[in-house]
Amino acid sequence: MDTPSQSIRDLALRLLELEAEDRAADDAKGAERVCAKLHTSLTRFAGVDGFKALTRRSLALARSEIPVLRGVSLDEGGCFVGLGDLAAKAVNDGGAALITHFLWLLVTFVGEPIALRLLREAWPEINIDE
Amino acid sequence: MNTDEKGNSRVRIRQIPTGVPGLDEILGGGLPEYSFNIIAGAPGCGKTTLAHQIIFANATKEKPALYFTVLGEPAIKMLRYQQQYSFFDQAMLEGAIKFINLSQLVLDNDLGAVLDEIIKEVEASNAGIVVVDSFKTVVKKGLASESQVEVHGFIQRLALHLTGWQATTFLIGEYVDGDMRDNPIFTVADGLLWLYQNVDRSSIVRKMQIVKLRGQESVPGLHTFRITDGGLHTFPRTFGLSEQSDKEKGTRRLSSGIAEFDKMLGGGIPEGDSMLIAGPSGSGKSLLASQFINEGLSHGEPGVIAIFEELPSPYVRRAAKLGMDFETPQKNGKLKIIYIRPLDLSVDETVHAIVDAVKTIDAKRVVVDSLVGFEMALAPEFRHGFRESLYRMIGALVRLGVTVVSTVEVEESFGAIDFSNYTISFLAEDLVRLRYISINGQMRKMMMIVKMRGSDHSIDMREYTITTDGIVIGKPLRGYRGLTTGIPGPWSDGSGQNSPSGPEAD
Repeated sequence: MDTPSQSIRDLALRLLELEAEDRAADDAKGAERVCAKLHTSLTRFAGVDGFKALTRRSLALARSEIPVLRGVSLDEGGCFVGLGDLAAKAVNDGGAALITHFLWLLVTFVGEPIALRLLREAWPEINIDE
Repeated sequence: MNTDEKGNSRVRIRQIPTGVPGLDEILGGGLPEYSFNIIAGAPGCGKTTLAHQIIFANATKEKPALYFTVLGEPAIKMLRYQQQYSFFDQAMLEGAIKFINLSQLVLDNDLGAVLDEIIKEVEASNAGIVVVDSFKTVVKKGLASESQVEVHGFIQRLALHLTGWQATTFLIGEYVDGDMRDNPIFTVADGLLWLYQNVDRSSIVRKMQIVKLRGQESVPGLHTFRITDGGLHTFPRTFGLSEQSDKEKGTRRLSSGIAEFDKMLGGGIPEGDSMLIAGPSGSGKSLLASQFINEGLSHGEPGVIAIFEELPSPYVRRAAKLGMDFETPQKNGKLKIIYIRPLDLSVDETVHAIVDAVKTIDAKRVVVDSLVGFEMALAPEFRHGFRESLYRMIGALVRLGVTVVSTVEVEESFGAIDFSNYTISFLAEDLVRLRYISINGQMRKMMMIVKMRGSDHSIDMREYTITTDGIVIGKPLRGYRGLTTGIPGPWSDGSGQNSPSGPEAD
């Protein structure tokens, strides 16, 4: 199976940093906020079940890299919960892994142009293509 | 407004293109603007692809298309597959086309809430095209909790709101024929496009029918279509036959490239005729047809060869061995060799391919080699109506003013003469028969002109040979009886006939 490209990893980190800064929140909240924004943008297009299918798979893929993510689960809407209970480093690495895999799955299924379009809808204030 | 001869003004219904080759012609010009339509059919028929072609052909940022998905194919998967088609322009997803998932709403709410959400989205976006995929699921969910009258009312209100908002609507549903009975959706709909997919032995044939279309005349009947990289491609069943022919039949005689054969034909093949060359395997039918094309090319007349039984490269190589260059004219746009053999072909597809080629290079001569191969290339269900199919194909070609030479293989039987296995000679103005004859321990070849409609021709039976220079026609075979049986004998003394012109008969 393909592994996430460097540009997708970088994009995931950018989104995490942005949400953490914007909300003056901790890293765990940052990851949860990225997930929440993705939820808003994607459920309109793919439905809650479509969104949950992607987050569930992202969680499984991220857990295989960072086993402590076993403590993270999904809420009813498909968003990640439980990141805040992890140690600081695990939060950073885990959040990045979850978002990276989510974005990469999206790219895998619908292609990069459509995936980036969906992200631009969620973050109209930033230049996703940079 | 349009005004008729009585001075009545009528509203002019504009038509929107479908983006599907051939479908606008079937619809009578396109889809009526602001109409409320159903795209029905079993799974895998191409309903979603058809809807996508329509939205990609029409959506703009000012009048976008809204594609509501409801418990059908998930949007992520749908986009994954639909973007493989060449019509899928990703730039249009930047505001011209929007996908909205209504699955949860339909599951959690009544039809009133669904209607409200659709109206809200349509009004907010100023949508010009609306698709609900699958609408049958919406109705099914409604019927589980609401009365039939309420569902009927929902459909009525939806149609009224969307039409009133000047949107052209497409409701997609996996309907079967039985669903038509007592179903309000079919009553309310202005247009009903039904897609079918039939399996016959190992072949699949897709067909489409415009069951209903208010306000304009569509072409009745079932039209075949194929799903290609470019999406759906329809083949109107009246293609080439419905339009008025603007070509007047010429008065020239076209040379076949064989001077003696031209003499037998009374000076050549009458321009615009359809000639059938019937004969057994190896008798030179293809060679005769190739020489006809080659002769045209040498006089600057473009030609089309439709072959079904061998690939173009060996066909060209074989012609080269006989001194005919079919490579250069192909490069120069004077010759098209069409190889058609997918084994699930419809007649209409074949006609389209040949007619397109004729129009592209303005061909004057067409060879169909052979009708047996053509029949084999068809899906089994089309073989039942092969005679009708040939009628349509030849009819479409001669209306273009081209001269058509077709070959047909016949099973050679000694003792009787057949003209073809298909009794299709009625299609051809001119009929040439090649056959083997057994004379003096040799298997020789003989040709005769059986008929030329409205034209004098030779009644001689002529021996011919196949040489490296092509077909060479010998003298008339005289002094034999029973030549048409293939086992001639000499006329008995006192018969008044000439003695055999060749060696003694068997």
